[in-house]
Amino acid sequence: MNIPAELKYTKSHEWVRMEDGVAVIGITDYAQDALGDVVFVNLPQQGDDAAAGEAFGDVESVKAVSDLVSPVSGTVCAVNEELVDAPELLNSDPYGAWIIKVENVADTEELLDAEAYAAHCEAE
Amino acid sequence: MITKTQLWIGTGCDPQENLAVEQALLEATDAGCCTLYLWQNQNTVVIGKNQNAWKECRTALLEQEGGKLARRLSGGGAVYHDLGNLNFTFLLPTEDFDLSRQFSVLQRALLRLGIPAELSGRNDLTADGQKFSGNAFYHHAGRSYHHGTLLVSADLDRMSRYLRPSAAKLKAKGVDSVRSRVTNLCALRETLTVAKLQTALIDAFTEVYGSVPTFAAPDPEAVARLTARNRSWEWNYGAQLPFDFSCGDRFPWGEVQIELKVDGGTVTRAKVYTDAMDWTLAPALEAALIGSRFSAAALCERIAACGMEQTDDLCGLIRRQDV
Repeated sequence: MNIPAELKYTKSHEWVRMEDGVAVIGITDYAQDALGDVVFVNLPQQGDDAAAGEAFGDVESVKAVSDLVSPVSGTVCAVNEELVDAPELLNSDPYGAWIIKVENVADTEELLDAEAYAAHCEAE
Repeated sequence: MITKTQLWIGTGCDPQENLAVEQALLEATDAGCCTLYLWQNQNTVVIGKNQNAWKECRTALLEQEGGKLARRLSGGGAVYHDLGNLNFTFLLPTEDFDLSRQFSVLQRALLRLGIPAELSGRNDLTADGQKFSGNAFYHHAGRSYHHGTLLVSADLDRMSRYLRPSAAKLKAKGVDSVRSRVTNLCALRETLTVAKLQTALIDAFTEVYGSVPTFAAPDPEAVARLTARNRSWEWNYGAQLPFDFSCGDRFPWGEVQIELKVDGGTVTRAKVYTDAMDWTLAPALEAALIGSRFSAAALCERIAACGMEQTDDLCGLIRRQDV
């Protein structure tokens, strides 16, 4: 299980990286492994509001549709359109395949560091 | 942990309303409670959350024969339902979602009816190696459902007619259906009926969860709100990623090739190539098609409004595309 030390994590298995006040968000290695092969990603649009703890999109894997939960509140300022054509990137490169970037970050869900997230995965 | 169970049996066979009931039951799912919902649709194709309706289903033919198209929240491919098919849904908190336990309800019920069923992959149930049940899963805001079909005596001819890929050349993003050979359970047990299967499922559900279910009436307001959305053209057709459509044919007056870009169910770009002597044909047709809703009826109406002598040929071409 790959859990990079420099990222923050949610209990619902998203990762966050802060870059100059912008939150870059994706799903973890644990999440992609649990989902299985991802076949489709429903993305929000640039300019949409994201709310901490609420769904900003969903992923369809081998028949299950699951929410993507935003770790922060703010405005979606970038969307990884590459995932529309290549949703499988979420499986092959979960930490490289970011999903959205959020600016004007106002509120944040409870975030875990790598160690705490590893313990959380262990317990699931 | 599941400590309480509920049961709801669908009262109608309208897919859009039945799917609304399913979602209303999901929204009302409480901690510790598992609900079993049993329902049937008449002459219906249900497509997955992220599918292109025109690509998966011969929508024009289905409509012409009085059938209905519906979109569900879960993923996967297109399925055909009629009154020879029984649908089931297990609705429960995500933390209690347990595929093997839910499947055990189905397997126990079937075994009691003399059919040993096996799980194939994570989505199908088979008997004697033949598929009779497709399953799909949906997780939202801490609540989940597991639903599926059980083919008892469905009209398999209609199924293959509607789900057959249409003649239309359609390049779309989204999830493709996986075709598989299916069988009716009554081919394995002649005396099996939907009513018998329903009773066996309720018994097995009671045994597996160790609790006698109470009735779970869905909230009528939520059902009305969700039914309206499920019936809307936007939900079934409009909310799809942009896609490309093309068709063409040769006529006595020349060859024609029509290429459309469709976004949100509306034609946003049209390109017509033709070697017809009439040089006004292509630009007139392009102007007529842009902005049209993407359906054979709407496209033909636009073409007819141009009053061209090629109208009948062009409308015939569009109608042959099953859109």
